[in-house]
Amino acid sequence: MSGLYLFARIAGTPVAICTDEVEAVVRLKELSPAPGAPPYVAGLFAVRSRVLTIINAAALVAGSDNDCRPGCEEGHFAVVCEIGGHSYGIMVDSVDDIQTIDTAPLPICGRVSDAWQPYAKTVIEHDGSAHFILSMTDFLESCLYAQAA
Amino acid sequence: MDELLSEFVAETQESLEALANVAVALEADPSDRKLLDELFRFFHTVKGSCGFLNLPRFERLSHAAEDVLSDIRAGEGAPDAATITAVLAVMDRIAELCMAVDSGTSLPDTNDDELIEMLRHCHRMAGVAISAPEGLAVAADEVPIPQNGAPVRGAGTSRTIRLPLTLIDQLMNGVSDMVLARNEVARKLRTSDADPELETAFERLSGCIADMRDSISKTRMQRVERLFMAIPRMARDLGRELGKSIDLVLEGGEVEMDREMVEMVVDPLTHIVRNAIDHGIEAPAQRREAGKPETGSLVISARQSGSQIVIEVADDGRGINVDAVTNKVISAGLMTAQDVAQLNEQAKLDLIFTPGLSTAQAITSISGRGVGMDIVRANVERIGGVISLANDPGRGLTITMRVPLTLTIIPGLILNAGGLNFAIPRTAVVEILHSNNPTVTVAELGGGLTATIRDMRYSMVDLEDVINIPKVDQIGPRSLMIVRSASGKPFILGVGTVENHEELVIRPAAPVVMAAGIYAGMTLPDNGQPMLLLDAGGIAQAAELPLIAEHVEREDRGVAAVDEATETFAALRFIELTGEERVIRLALVDRVEDIPAHCFSSVGGVSHVSVADRLVACAAHFEAANIPGDSKEVTCLRIRDGARELCYPIASIVDIHELPAKLDMSARYGMVAGVVLIEGHQVEAIDSLALLAGVHEPSDQSEGTSVRCVIADQADSWNREILAPLLVQAGYEVVWGHQSGASRPDDVLVLTSAEASPLEVQPDAVVRLRSKSQPGGPDDQSVYRYDRDALLSAISSAHERRGAA
Repeated sequence: MSGLYLFARIAGTPVAICTDEVEAVVRLKELSPAPGAPPYVAGLFAVRSRVLTIINAAALVAGSDNDCRPGCEEGHFAVVCEIGGHSYGIMVDSVDDIQTIDTAPLPICGRVSDAWQPYAKTVIEHDGSAHFILSMTDFLESCLYAQAA
Repeated sequence: MDELLSEFVAETQESLEALANVAVALEADPSDRKLLDELFRFFHTVKGSCGFLNLPRFERLSHAAEDVLSDIRAGEGAPDAATITAVLAVMDRIAELCMAVDSGTSLPDTNDDELIEMLRHCHRMAGVAISAPEGLAVAADEVPIPQNGAPVRGAGTSRTIRLPLTLIDQLMNGVSDMVLARNEVARKLRTSDADPELETAFERLSGCIADMRDSISKTRMQRVERLFMAIPRMARDLGRELGKSIDLVLEGGEVEMDREMVEMVVDPLTHIVRNAIDHGIEAPAQRREAGKPETGSLVISARQSGSQIVIEVADDGRGINVDAVTNKVISAGLMTAQDVAQLNEQAKLDLIFTPGLSTAQAITSISGRGVGMDIVRANVERIGGVISLANDPGRGLTITMRVPLTLTIIPGLILNAGGLNFAIPRTAVVEILHSNNPTVTVAELGGGLTATIRDMRYSMVDLEDVINIPKVDQIGPRSLMIVRSASGKPFILGVGTVENHEELVIRPAAPVVMAAGIYAGMTLPDNGQPMLLLDAGGIAQAAELPLIAEHVEREDRGVAAVDEATETFAALRFIELTGEERVIRLALVDRVEDIPAHCFSSVGGVSHVSVADRLVACAAHFEAANIPGDSKEVTCLRIRDGARELCYPIASIVDIHELPAKLDMSARYGMVAGVVLIEGHQVEAIDSLALLAGVHEPSDQSEGTSVRCVIADQADSWNREILAPLLVQAGYEVVWGHQSGASRPDDVLVLTSAEASPLEVQPDAVVRLRSKSQPGGPDDQSVYRYDRDALLSAISSAHERRGAA
């Protein structure tokens, strides 16, 4: 299967997100924090009259000990997607490219670190390096279940 | 029922359109489990709905498709082209049936069975095809599928239109944006010296937006009754089918909630109720064994709790067998035994929400295929709701759904805590005080805060502590909000400052945020900075406040004594038509009304005013002549004490005062009880009792126990034309002597002096009338017939004598 992928970095790890799930990429400004919510919820951000819940993907993957002070999200990009009727912005380190990839996803080789284990299922090659293919829906759902358990 | 049916048809048609693509996509990618699930759920839903709508053909078709898909889900067979074609044929047939139902025509029941057989055949073939050579699968492909001509949409017309929710959302968002923009313009106008014309124009615009917002909110609100509509029938039918008797109680149908919420809650609720009847409530025999009444009880209640609607489904059935659930989870390979062992009781219970799990012993046509609770939870969570279980094994299960009242515009307060802004619904806030207010004392005891405000002790918590952020130093006192919690008991929420009051557009917050348990949603105020809406009940729970409120014993008894002396009542001060200033207890005044002067009339010394086609007595001292000749309307106090009603015409109202209960000077005369001193003026206080006592009680003819007056001689024209109307008006029932029939012991006989008294009547029941004004002699007990008062009192005392005898 070929598809258009958005290439980004989360916690330094290159990832590819299928563009079917991506509505837009926005640059974040000041967020409204959501105290009481899990640490990977960076806060709320308004795009016109729409309010995004910003998920700090790096914090989600790396766990709560990831260093994220309020304000660190300034200037970061967030991938906007709508999941389960709610609008989310998945905050990534950087957005590198958007490219159509013709090759099929490859299975993962090697032992992936525990942090990535729940999210990484397949890999795709781009620009000479491997990227984890992330499904935003799975990504968020797994974090919800992780929290519920 | 019609409404339900048409809704079912519309929904099914809508799903069918979307699902044709799903089926095709499944064919293209048979391994896609999600598509398969989606297809399966559709048939499951149709089967469930038509079960209680009594549409057997729908049910048979969908049941067959569900069976096949269920097998495929279980890994028996693959959704190959032939199977999908057959499934599509079934879907087409369902679509045709929908149209037939919609237009009220009937579709000949020719080949439903053929279709079903086809489906099963294809499925069997597909199952074989996995292990068998290619040829067989091809054979399945070649099975002809019966085709019907292109479906023709019936001419049935419906009185409602169905709008996609997205459109309503857009409309709502549009209005929300409009409200935001208006607020911003309002803010700009306040800061700049705008010219008045611009402000007037803006006011008009503002009004229009408010109207529009109101009507749009109205289209969104619906009584929960609608949600309950289908339940009684469903409970009855299910109960019959399963041989269970169910006592269904529905409570709180008058609660209003967002239409969208109602729609979102219908399916989960239906599912829950179905489960409760099917799995929860036991068969009568089992119930008897368990020592429970044979009739199972199912209570469904809805109530509003702050910014949430709480819907509870409580049954007194067997509850959830937690061990069965965990065994099932383990045997289905969804979790390992070790994982399960680590869970606490509540978490084990929550496993019931695991996708693909069913604890039912047997698959029935009602429920129990393992689709259910996972979908229920997904649906509830999608609208920002929470679902929870309270299990009492052997005695019942209570499922509570809490869904927000979101996507609505509510008045809210914006507050600041720890440098962050939050919103709280204004309805949740009873009062706001500064912490330096002299009536407030805050005490800390072992980390817990207690605030005493005007002799009431409240639990108190600082918002910053609840959300775990540091307090910021601020100039000026902190604000204390008396907040109503879900349980109805108020507590004090300490915040930095309360900044503003705004109309807020509330939207559901993402589940990750809602999971914090202290938010009810989020909002985007006009500064463009999103804010979270606090949930008062959630905060109280998160802070684990003991919600008690009690009166503090007054330390100083003297204070109480003083209070008694200064007990006051609200009094309305007004000017009489005759010019005196008087006060009357405000509580007695029902309302103040301007009544046209021509409605007043004085007849026979009694004044009445006609109000809305009936006569209301005027205060006894009122005289129509006192109404100034040039006035068209008279201001009236409408006074009511529950039983009596009266109209008190006055010249004008002056003010409302708090007056001491004790008058400065008691001087009873007529209508006046005494004199009070108000701002140095002597004002007469109306004697409420005398005022109402003076009202002429209207004669009540409708009462069956009215007193009968027997007038002996009907031929006498004076009796007929003067005496009888007088008695009727005074409330007596007049009976002529020759038609009195069975005489009653309390009858009063009215005779003129010339007549002889009939022997059978006791002498004390007789009132004699004479035509001369002077009595005929010392023994003459008769009454002068033109002496109205004496006549009526003689009759009434005769009646009393008879009544006593």
